[in-house]
Order: sequence, then structure tokens, then C-alpha cells
Amino acid sequence: MSLITVTSPHATRSGNHTGAFMRQVVYATIPGIVVMTWLFGWGTLFNLMIAIPAALLAEAAVLKARGYNVRFALRDWSAVVTAVLLALAIPPTSPWWLIVIGIIAAIVVAKQLYGGLGMNPFNPAMVGYVVLLISFPLEMTRWIGPHEAPSWFDSFRMVLASANVDAFTGATPLDSFRTWAGNAEQLQALPILHGEFASLGWEWVNIAFLIGGLYLLARKIISWHIPVAMLAGMALIALPFWLFDDARYASPLFHLFSGAAMFGAFFIATDPVSAATSRYGRLIYGALIGVLVWIIRSHGGYPDAVAFAVLLMNLAAPTIDYYTQPRTYGHHRAKRGATR
Amino acid sequence: MTDYRKITLDGLWNNNPATVQILGLCPLLAVSGTVVNAMGLGLATMMVLAGSNLAVSLIRHFVTPAVRLPAFVMIIAALVTVIEMLMQAFTFELYEILGIFIPLIVTNCAVLGRADAFASKNPPLPAMLDGLMMGAGFLAVLLLLGGMREALGLGTLFSNMSLLFGPMADSWEIVLIPEYRGFLLAILPPGAFIGLGLIIAGKNVIDKRLKDAAKRREAAEPKTSRRVRTTGTVA
Amino acid sequence: MNASIGKPRLLFDFHGGIHPPQNKTLSNQRPIRPAPLPAQLILPLNMHLGAPAKPVVQVGDEVLKGQKIAEAQGAVSLPVHAPTSGKVVAIGPRPIQHPSGLDAPCIVIEPDGREQWCELHPLPDWRTCCPPSALIPRLREAGVAGMGGAGFPSAVKLSPRAEHPIEQLVINAVECEPYITADDMLMRERADQIIAGVEILRHILNPKEVIVGIEDNKPQAIEAMRRAATGSGIEIAVVPTKYPSGGEKQLIYMLTGKEVPSGGIPAQVGVVCHNTGTALAIHRAIVFGEPLISRVTTLTGKALREPGNMEVLLGTPVSALLDAAGADMNRIGRLVMGGPMMGFTLHSSAIPVVKTTNCILAATAEELPPPATEQPCIRCGSCADVCPADLLPQQLFWYSKNQDLERAQQYNLMDCIECGACAYVCPSHIPLVQYYRFAKGEVRKEMAEQQKADRARQRFEARQDRLAKEQAEKEARRKARLEGSKPAAASGVDVAALKAASLEASAAYKAAVKALKAAEAEGSDQVAALASDVEQLKAKADAAKAAVRDAGNAPAAPVVDVAALKAASLEASAAYKAAVKALKEAEAAGQDVTALRTEADALKAKADAAKAAVRDAGPATAKAAPVQPATAEQPAAEKADDGAERAQKMKALKTAFNMSHKHFKEATAALEHAEREGADNLEELRKQVERFKLKADKAKAALGLLVDQAKADMRASGSDLKSLKIEAAQTEAAARQKARELEAARVKGDDERINVLSRELDALQREAQVAAGALKAATDEQGLADA
Repeated sequence: MSLITVTSPHATRSGNHTGAFMRQVVYATIPGIVVMTWLFGWGTLFNLMIAIPAALLAEAAVLKARGYNVRFALRDWSAVVTAVLLALAIPPTSPWWLIVIGIIAAIVVAKQLYGGLGMNPFNPAMVGYVVLLISFPLEMTRWIGPHEAPSWFDSFRMVLASANVDAFTGATPLDSFRTWAGNAEQLQALPILHGEFASLGWEWVNIAFLIGGLYLLARKIISWHIPVAMLAGMALIALPFWLFDDARYASPLFHLFSGAAMFGAFFIATDPVSAATSRYGRLIYGALIGVLVWIIRSHGGYPDAVAFAVLLMNLAAPTIDYYTQPRTYGHHRAKRGATR
Repeated sequence: MTDYRKITLDGLWNNNPATVQILGLCPLLAVSGTVVNAMGLGLATMMVLAGSNLAVSLIRHFVTPAVRLPAFVMIIAALVTVIEMLMQAFTFELYEILGIFIPLIVTNCAVLGRADAFASKNPPLPAMLDGLMMGAGFLAVLLLLGGMREALGLGTLFSNMSLLFGPMADSWEIVLIPEYRGFLLAILPPGAFIGLGLIIAGKNVIDKRLKDAAKRREAAEPKTSRRVRTTGTVA
Repeated sequence: MNASIGKPRLLFDFHGGIHPPQNKTLSNQRPIRPAPLPAQLILPLNMHLGAPAKPVVQVGDEVLKGQKIAEAQGAVSLPVHAPTSGKVVAIGPRPIQHPSGLDAPCIVIEPDGREQWCELHPLPDWRTCCPPSALIPRLREAGVAGMGGAGFPSAVKLSPRAEHPIEQLVINAVECEPYITADDMLMRERADQIIAGVEILRHILNPKEVIVGIEDNKPQAIEAMRRAATGSGIEIAVVPTKYPSGGEKQLIYMLTGKEVPSGGIPAQVGVVCHNTGTALAIHRAIVFGEPLISRVTTLTGKALREPGNMEVLLGTPVSALLDAAGADMNRIGRLVMGGPMMGFTLHSSAIPVVKTTNCILAATAEELPPPATEQPCIRCGSCADVCPADLLPQQLFWYSKNQDLERAQQYNLMDCIECGACAYVCPSHIPLVQYYRFAKGEVRKEMAEQQKADRARQRFEARQDRLAKEQAEKEARRKARLEGSKPAAASGVDVAALKAASLEASAAYKAAVKALKAAEAEGSDQVAALASDVEQLKAKADAAKAAVRDAGNAPAAPVVDVAALKAASLEASAAYKAAVKALKEAEAAGQDVTALRTEADALKAKADAAKAAVRDAGPATAKAAPVQPATAEQPAAEKADDGAERAQKMKALKTAFNMSHKHFKEATAALEHAEREGADNLEELRKQVERFKLKADKAKAALGLLVDQAKADMRASGSDLKSLKIEAAQTEAAARQKARELEAARVKGDDERINVLSRELDALQREAQVAAGALKAATDEQGLADA
């Protein structure tokens, strides 16, 4: 009889596993991937096919340099999640080197250089996205119009050699709204702004990601606080402005179902490492992201703002945590803002 | 006895103002976009450092402690003004490109720091050498960073060197990647920070390797002992 | 009081909680069976929280079942009884039930199989025979401890203080941990005895409500308890199954909505909580007089062929129980005493069962697999979602890992109940509870060291005070001795008393005189008597007056007199010198000198007399002028007074000197002017000049004398300017330091410490003020002297 002597607790296998969590997140993006492929062609899949191996390679390289057991560490699937999120955020049929640079910025700089999993103050996928956005503004705004997808072969050539890109580019709904904001007739006339109930094509992308997000909620992979707060924040601030002047400001429905709103709410902003931790903190964090997204979309310099809003709130997350600690059992008041 | 070798090594490597002391980051990060800019500012700073160290060392016995810092700053400001005027006269375009960063050499903590830490306590010749070497170290990092950023951001090296060296330097330009579309991040300040961080990391790696090698060498040298080691590892 | 079946009680829900697989059906399928008698019973002397018991038997003694074999030590302690009759074979260290795996003193008994009881003292009519408080010592003597896991002596818990009136008595029958079914079976089979025990508790504590909390996964137990409690007014509350609802704080909150304050006990909110097994033991102890010698323990785990509950004698080695339950020794990967969440592993199966052993879990390696490899924390927040104390475990983990104890305590590290819910849900398999235990240990170590340091500092300060006091006493005695040489040297108190006495005496005398006059006017016979009375009273009044005069005059006189004498002598000598000079001039001028000569002689005599007087008074001055060290307040104040007087004098002399010097200068200038001009009144002017010069010299000399006096005083008192300065600086610094400590204590919110510190601060500030005052006075004098 050889007995283990360890301290309590002894029942520690609840079945929760970080790798399993991350895998579920990847599975939840599948509806979105399907819709994007349907709308924009094979470009999305090419993005994924380049991003995921690149991410695994980059992470393995850095982990090896840091002396970790690479095989064990890669099992937490966190590199794959970052790769998937980044690949879905950048335009389909982007050149391969764009994706690779983005992945390196995301995994190596934004995650590993800060200490690895669990230590990054900023959302790695968003850091990669923003690095690409400011370095290669041209490529990053080269979206394809919905239902005008190039063929498989054309997509392949675009990815490898950036060939014939101009033949297929089209503006996104948010782009169009920005361009023509204030001009009511043009806004009425543009077809891209009028899908079934929101922007053309993109509304389905957002619905698909919404479905994925609800799946994650049901499986308790993420908690409801951040997505609900973000969407509510966005809708609530868009509403009065839209009512006031609907030629200059888009409707809440438009905002909620265009661009990366749903994607951001359920997949990006919920990244646990860089978000706030307490319950109230998460609500405030999500709400402010929503508000910031609307502000940057309406008044800022970029058509879509989820990345910037998330990064800005990542900066604020420690402060939010500081002031929103819960009240512990047996204490009268929460030690909010407790310092030295 | 002043150890000139130590002063040199300190300035260039062990106590490099940019990678070890991490001083003077403002000009370092702002103007190291291309090699010529970096070299211009680096040379200016080096001259200021050497000159101010020499001057401070000469007056070090006559300045009372209460007013030494204002006195040093006055000396440094005078030198910088001279250098600025020289640049304005002889390298006008570069002077215009560098703009405010030339007068900002006065505020470079490395300059005042060396004046206070070294020049005010040492004779003139070592002080001048120290200033020169610190400047050279700063220049080296500037050049390295400038080279990296120019290569990644513009795809060239040594472009526009004629701004500094005259028309004969036009032929020095090396185009590394033809028809480079440019990596904007390298030109922007975030790229500078990341580049400097990588340089500092690289220096730390080299230092560690040197230290490990030195330790191994030391352990390998046989020590005289009459006792025979029967446990543990030898070397 | 609520009926046992009727309106369901409003239950609160505490935050968090987990639902691990319960595995209770493994052991609750069969009734409680008695455990076999082992070959040896090992009884640790410390089966409870508190001081270990002391053996009262020796090796070789024969003991009876229930006989006391170890005596309780102190208030929080319990005796140990022999679980069966037999012989004491050893008293010494044996491996016992503790996570550390260390040995502890035990009494080893070899049973003789006869199960012979010792004499018992049952008390079936406990309700009527004696007051409730008399039952408590019986419980202590019976060795009843909390059998839910903590082992706190029940007698101590049942004696709450008067300031904590008990409103609710909560019986913890929740048994939330997986695998354990001891209380479940106990309630199913012995509900009547449990309820009887609860009645005894109610009798002792007299609460407003009695609530028994049971989890809803024990339907048969609930039924049994309800049946047993009908009509008794004891409420059976069913709580939803959740771990850790059996935690005392969580259960109290669920049933009553009250929160036990952090660092406090339930009695502070008017609640007392006991385990059902303890209630049963109390019943047996009071009604049957049986001490606590056995308990029901769950034997469970997949490595056992026949898991179930057994009635086990205390001290039975676990190996005997494992045999009785058909354990497959090869399959046991982990042997846990207690439940899978809060139990601890045993390193050997020779360890005995004690009062708090509610479960022995013989788990296979698959059932309780070894801990998984720790991965980085992804800050998912699952741990915060399940923490029953509403902490932020991910933050506690962060700071415990970095040993940032300050921050960890700010996040309420010490409120963690170590239930293990956070570690259960962590997807990265981080051993969170181990990190918190480590950090808590470090915090406790720090607090202990801080206490030691505080005590050392207090003792040091006390010693300093004592030394200073001794010093002051010595000085006071010395001073008293000096003033004792003067008979009339009375202290201020005496003077006041004497004055009062004298007033009284004179008043009495006056009254007597009045009476006498009245009598004389009437022409009564009492006149003679009254007259003699008047004489007596007059004498008394005179004596009192004289006493006052003597007392008042004597001490003050020398100092003032000396200064006056000195001044007088200076004047006299100056006047004499002037007279001599005038005489010489007169002689030179050929004037009549006799008058001047006599004047000069007279002045000489005066000057000599004055000098003599000064000389006589001199030595007394040196003695009488109190030269105390500046540490004692009273002498310092006196010296300050003297100093103040002297300072005033010096000021006056200085102005006099300045004026006369100015006059002298003017006169000299006028003289020179006149000489140059060739005026006639040269003589007059010259005389004027002389006069002013004399005045100036006189003032200067007097000033110089006073300065010398001051210097001599200070030198004699040993507190020259330098040491006064140091003194002042030191007290100032000490006061500042104390103020800083006070601030720190304020931030921490430690009220006790704040009071202590503020008192010390006041004392230090006063000292600093005194020192500063002394310094100022000294500098004033010095300053004036450096004219």
C-alpha cells in the first residue's frame, strides 16, 4: 500500500480544462466562418490555414527559447484561438505575409514577451490587428463586397501574390456609412446599407457570431456580463443620437449587426486575461467598450473600432478592478480602492 | 591611476547610456528613423558630451556644490548652441529635419548625468574620454536602431547620407528590398520602442553568454589542492 | 417558535458553491454496524482544540470502560476516557491524525474484552434537578467535543458571555462533503436521541429559535428527524444540496441571514452552532452519564469491498477498520481522514480514530487521481464565481505566489475557509488552497514576530521610564536634603497651609476681642476669662504670622538678595572709585579735599560692606540655587523661573549699558569738539564724560557678572547649550516617529493600537515642549549675554 500524502483538497477534477475551454471557443466561431466563406469566398479559409500553423510555430519557438515543455504548453490551444480570432478580423484574401506579421506581433510581442499565457495586459489578437492596421492601411481596408466572392483560384493567387486585388474590392457597410454620413439620399440609395434588417451581408455574419456566442454562454465558457454590457452600451448610446439625426448617425440595429460588433462582444472582449475580473467590473468594462465603439465609429478616424475600443479598455481594466472588488462575507463594506 | 580601458568599455558597453542607463530616450526614439538622422544627432550628442565633460572637469574645483547643477547646465547649453549653429551652417537640411531635437540635447539626461557623476570628480583628460566614449556608445545604439528601422521601414540603408557628408555620399545608398511597400510600424514610435527593447534584450543575452563562458572557464582551471575530490563534479 | 412542519423557513443563499459528485450511495446503503474490537486502542492526549490532556494513569494500570485516564489542562481542554476496559500498556509518542505526520503523546490500552463499565452518574431528570449552567461542567467532564470536524470543547462553546445573548441554536446536520454519510445514518437510526440532545442544548442556552439544517439529499434522515421533533418546537430546515453549505458561517447565513463578522465567532451575532453527532453525545453524557468514547465513522472508497458506517471506539487504528470493511490494500492510492475536500491524508494506517474522525476514505488512484500539472492562470474567474466567502481567489493566488502578503491581506486572505471549491473548478488545475495556506502561514508568522517586537519595545520603554523616574527621585531627594538645612525652608504647600492657619488664628483673635469689648460694655463677670482668651489667641495669631513670614521669606530671599547685594556692591565700589577720582582731580586742581576724602572713605566702607555681604551670600547661592538636571519637570520649571528673572535683569542692565554708553560717546564727542573749538566748559564736559563712562562700565560689569552667573549655573546643572539642543532634538524626533506610527495605525484601523500610540505621542510631545522651552531660555540668556 503506497499512499500519497498531499494536503486537501483531494477532489480537484471537475472536468474543467483550459484546453477544453479554448477549443470550445474555436468551435463557436464555426458558424461565423461558414457565413463568411459563403459571402466572401475562400479567402477566409486561406487566412485560417496560414494563421493557425504560423501561430503554433511562433509560440513553439518562443516557448522553447523560454525553456518550457512545448508539447505540454501548446495543449492549451491559446495560440490557436489567437490565430483564429486574428484571421477572422482581417480581410479575406489578405496577402500571406500580412497574416504572418500580424501573428508574430500578436503571439510573440503581445503575449509571450509579456510573460506568456495569463500575463498579457492587452488582447493579443487585437494588438496584432492594430499593428497591421497602422502599418499597412491599404491592405487592411481591402474588403470584398458581399456575394462578389472571387473564385478559389483567384483567392489563392491573391493570397500568395496579391494579384488582381482591385478587381474584387468593395466597401464595407461601415465604410459606406462613414463616407456618406449626412447625405440622406445617398444613404437611402446604397444597397450595401440595406440588407434584411441591417447592413447587407454583414448582418448574417454578425448573426452567425451571435449564435456562436450564445453557444459559449450556454456551455458556461464565458459569462454574460461582458457581451450583454457591451451590446447594451452600444445600443443605448446609439439610440438617442439616431433618433436625433438619422442621416448622420446609424441606428442601433445597424451598429449591432455590422462590422465586428457581435464578434467583438462574444469573442474578443471576453478574453479573460485582459478583461476586468469582478462582476461589476465586467459590466462597466463591457459597457464602456460598447460606448467607445460607437464613439470611434461615429466620430473617429476609422470605420470599425472594436479593436481600438478593446485595447483602450484593456488599459483601464486594472483600475476598474481596483474599484469594483466584491464585499467579502463578514465584512461591512467592500475594500474598494484599497491601497497600501 | 585612471583606467582608460575601463572608461572606454564602460561608455561603449557596460554602462551604455542608451541600453544600460536607458537615458536620453527621447531623441533616441524620435530621430532614429533613418541612419542619416541617427548619425547626425549621435555625432552632435557625442561632441556635446565630450566638450561638456571637458569643460566641467576644468572648472570642477571652483564651483560650489550649491550652484554646480545650474553651472553645468549653462555649460552644456552653451555647447549645444554652438553645435546647433554649426549644423545650421554646414548641414542645413539635416538641421531642418532634426528640428527641435538638437536643442533638446541639453535636456538629455545622459549629458548632465555624466557631467555630475564623472566629470565633476575626475581630471580633464579622463573626463573627456568618458564623454567621448559615452557619446560613441550612444551613437552606436542610434546607428543600430536607425539602421534597423530604415531597413524594415523603408527597405534601404544609408539613404540621404548627402545631408551629412555632402554630395559624394549620394552613392552610398543601399537598396535592400526593391519596390518596398514599407512597414509603417518601424518608422512610427512604437516600432522604435520595440526595436530598442530588442536591442537591450540582445545585449543582455550577449552579456549572459559572456558571463557563463567566463564562469565555465574559471571552473575549468585547475585549482591547486593537495586533497583529492571524491564527491561532486569537477569543473 | 416555528412548527417543525408548516410554513417553510425563508432560506438565504450564499454566493458561490459547487456540486461535486456526491458518492454518498457508496456508504449509506446499510445500517450502522459496530466495529470490531481492535488489539490495541491508541488514545491521543489531544483529540480536541486546546491544551492536551495530562495522563492520570500509569503503564500497567487496569482501567474500566469510561474511566478517566487523562485530566483536562486549563479552560480550553478536555479529559480523555478509556473506551473499553483493559490495561494501559504504554504512554508515549505514536503517529496521530495530523497533516504534518508528526507523532504525539498517546495512551495505549490493550482491551481485555470484558467491556466492564466504570461507575456512571446518569442524570435522567436533568430538566429539573439542577440549573442549566450546572450541566456544562458535566459535559466537560464527559469530554464532549465538536464532532463535526473542529473538535472544539463543547462546554466552552456552551458558555457564551453575557454580552452575546443567544437567539438561535443551529444544529448542523448538513454533511455537505461528498462521501460522508455518518450524520445521515445517525439521524436515520437515532433521531430520538439526537433530538433529546438538542433539547438539552436548548435548556442550557435558552435561545429564541432552534433550527436543524439538513441537506435535501437525505430524505430518510429528514423524515426521521421530523418525526422525532414533532411537538418539540425544534424546526427542521431543509437546505438545497451545495458544497460547502455545511460550513458554519455559510449555514448560519442560509438559515438566519446573519453574517458572522470577519475574525469573529457566531456568538457575536447571537448564534451557536453544533453538530448532530455532538448533540447525540451530549444526550448520552447527561442522561446516561457516558463519556464520549465512541463515534460513528463512515468507511468509504472504491478500494473497500464493504463500505458503510461503523460505530467505532475512539482509539481504534484505521487498519482495523480497513480490515473490517474489506479493504484491498493494493488498490488504495490515498487514505484520507475526513472528506475529499477538507480531509487530510494519512501516511500510515496505524493512526487511530479520534473524536473528530467522521470519515475514512480509502480511495483508489482513479477515484482521487494525483494532482494535475499546474498551468498558467487564464483569469477566467470561475474561482471567484464559486467562492462561498465572496473573495477574489485569482487575485489572492497572484499575490500569494509573489509573496506580496500586504496585498493578499487587503484582499481578505484570512477570510478564506479553505473549502477547496476554487481549486475544484480551476481549469488550469492550480493548487489554489495550497497557495493560500502558505500565505496564511507567512502572515501568522509575521504577526507573531510583530507581537514579539511590540512587547520588546514596550519593555524597553518601561525600562527607560523606570530609569528616568529613579533619576528624578534621586534629584528630588538631593534637593530636599539641601533645603532641609534651612529650618524654615518650607515648600509652597506649607506656606499656603501656614497662611491659612494664620488667617484663622487672626480671625479667632478678632472675634475674641469683639466679645471682650462687648462683655466690658455690658460689665459682665466673664471679662477676665475673655481677656485671657484674647491673650492666648493673640499669641497664637502672632506665632502663625511669624511662621508664615519665616516660611515665605527664607528660600526666596537668598537668590534675590544676592543679586541685589551684588548690584549694591557694584554701585558702592563704582561710587567709591568715582569719589577717589574726583579726590585726585581736586588734589591736582588744588581744591579743598577733606570733604571729598571723607566721602571717599565712607563710600569705601560701604563698598567693602557690600562686598562682604555678597561674599557671605555667595556660598549659599551656590547651594540654594537649584541646579537640577533638565529631565525632571519641576526643577526645570523653577530654573526657568530663575532664568527668566535673570534674563529680565540682564535685559535691563543691557539697556542701561547701551544708554550710558551712548551718552558717554556723545559726551566724548562734545568734549573733542569743544577742545578743538577751544571752549571754556572743558572741565564740565570732561566730568560728564567720566560720569557716563562710569555708568557704562558699571552696567557692563553688572551684566558680565550676571552672565557669568548664568553660565556657571548652566555648567553646574550640566546642561549647557549643546546638550540642551541635543535633548530638544531627540525628544522632537521621538515625537515625530510616534506620530508616524500613529498614522500607520490609523490607516490600518487598529483602534487599540491607536489609543496606545496617541497616549505615548502626548507624553512625548510634552517632553519635547519642555526641552524646547529649556533650550529657548538658555539661548535667550546666551543671546543676551553675547552683547
